[in-house]
Amino acid sequence: MKKNLTFIGILIVLIISLTIFSGCSEKKSIVKSDETKVQETVSAPAPAPAETTEPATQDNVSQPIETTNLKDTANEQSSLMEATAKSPISDINFDFDSYSIRPDAREILKFNADYLLKHKVSSVLVEGHCDERGTDEYNMALGQRRAQETKKYLVNLGVNESIIKTISYGEERPLDTDNNEEAWAKNRRAHFVVNP
Amino acid sequence: MKKTCLFLFLTLFFCTLFIFSHGVDAKVYVDIDSPNFQQIPIAICDFYNKTASATKSENVGAIISDGIKKDLSLTGIFNILNNKSFPESNPSDAKESVRFSDWALIGADFLLQGNITQNNKGIAADGRLFDITRGETLFYKKYFSDINNLKFLSRKIASDILLTLTNDEGEFNTKIIFVSKKGSKSDLSVINYDGSELKNVTNHQSILIAPRWSPDGNLIAFTSFKDGHPAVYIRNFKNGSERKVASFDGLNMCGAFSPDSKKLLLTLSKDGNEEIYTLEIGNLKLKRLTNNYSIDVSPVWSPDGGKIAFVSNRAGSPQIYIMDSDGNNVRRITFKGKYNTSPAWSPRGGYIAYEGLVNDKYQIFSIDEEGNRIFQLTSDAANNESPSWSPSGRQIVYVSRKSSKSKICIMNSNGSNPRILIENLNKPVMPTWSPRFK
Repeated sequence: MKKNLTFIGILIVLIISLTIFSGCSEKKSIVKSDETKVQETVSAPAPAPAETTEPATQDNVSQPIETTNLKDTANEQSSLMEATAKSPISDINFDFDSYSIRPDAREILKFNADYLLKHKVSSVLVEGHCDERGTDEYNMALGQRRAQETKKYLVNLGVNESIIKTISYGEERPLDTDNNEEAWAKNRRAHFVVNP
Repeated sequence: MKKTCLFLFLTLFFCTLFIFSHGVDAKVYVDIDSPNFQQIPIAICDFYNKTASATKSENVGAIISDGIKKDLSLTGIFNILNNKSFPESNPSDAKESVRFSDWALIGADFLLQGNITQNNKGIAADGRLFDITRGETLFYKKYFSDINNLKFLSRKIASDILLTLTNDEGEFNTKIIFVSKKGSKSDLSVINYDGSELKNVTNHQSILIAPRWSPDGNLIAFTSFKDGHPAVYIRNFKNGSERKVASFDGLNMCGAFSPDSKKLLLTLSKDGNEEIYTLEIGNLKLKRLTNNYSIDVSPVWSPDGGKIAFVSNRAGSPQIYIMDSDGNNVRRITFKGKYNTSPAWSPRGGYIAYEGLVNDKYQIFSIDEEGNRIFQLTSDAANNESPSWSPSGRQIVYVSRKSSKSKICIMNSNGSNPRILIENLNKPVMPTWSPRFK
């Protein structure tokens, strides 16, 4: 009786293992042959860099001619410059990838805070800007932080927190569109829009 | 007793076989992340037109094979051999008669041979893919096509070749969305992966940044200043309807969708400084994930949804960090360089592409999730930025900026075979690869 039980037990194990094996082997065999192909593909010596491969994309690219209206851009640019010149209080500038208020900016902010306190303005918008280098998204956050740090500095100088709003334009509104350090230094700024 | 022993032996034998067979196919795929990956040399013959000369149109066979070549070269993993080097222009469709050793001499690993017959209903084509080294037929397939739809026929055959050799469907049915800047105004445009069908998507005429596809392909999230301040919008790609989903005080910027397309990662500054949140798209419920007095930005989910990569300057400079999807267990993974941003998680997992500053230029890198292995993928004189992976994880689209011009390029995920997708457009930036469309 005991022998019989052992026998049945082993039979069950055998059947199960056979089932598993055959069940898998079917799928595997396909994959296996794939594998061999793929491996050969990789190990085969590839000929010298493909002169024969044509830059197919280029042929396909539809090339709409969209020239910027240069006049418009120039106008926008000069109006930005004008706005900066017109603002009763001056911009402050920042170092690359930094939002700490520089010593030269502290002087300007003292003057700006005095102006805001004396003139009883209804609100002031602090815009944070970055230069074109680096990541658009990170710059958007960096500009926000520049605006916020500037706001905090003004609040510490006595300006009412509730009249100061902040916005970041990231690298999207450069004052100077040149690609050099001089332009970049100008573009890393906080700008103030005063509403009397 | 003897019987028992025999059965026991057999059982063990089969179990061992099972385990063995399991181990064999652990390495099925081509390691396309490997810097040693070399392009697959393939010969594509012009399809042989068997139609009686009175009814056949010229060149159909060559048009079909040219289409296949174009599609295969877009994948970046094939070296398509020049027809001029072919030992026979019309190889036999019978395996026994193909001169495999001559094909091997020109460096081909695979050979596509095809025949077509035309009638008034259209074109019947059959294609055979041969493995030259082993002298075997890998597939024999029949196709039917309208004479005016040869591009589709070529694409079907190219897909079959790709699937047979790499076990992956590739990116044939994908699109790339990007921001086109005209002066100070930006909008979203979309283009097919093969460079066809360039179209405008939005009409915000405003600052517009950070577009993201939902993994189901239905939605696009982006940040727009349309109403004068940054807000996050979700747009239905098909019907064009738009919904403003985040418009708090300060910065509102979108990150990536969750793998199930139900949540969106955001960067908001409403609580004092830039922090990362998840937004449930259904009910607009917010959950804050980071809590650090520093910039936390550009969050992306891992493909399994378990982790989130993001950029933080908490250690003084922008670097890539990974946290669990509940915000716990934050660890830094990039330590080389002073500026590492724009993380993009490979859809196959394992690697994160990003941009880093090296020798005063931004270049694209990939790094494994543990932060141990770094590969620099671009190294030319331009600023190469905003990497986004193709659905197969085989290719990366990115923007290449030089002075005030930019172009959108695609390269293999190991940095090889860079090629231009879009240039001559005014200023295309921030490309994002779509999932596969059905």
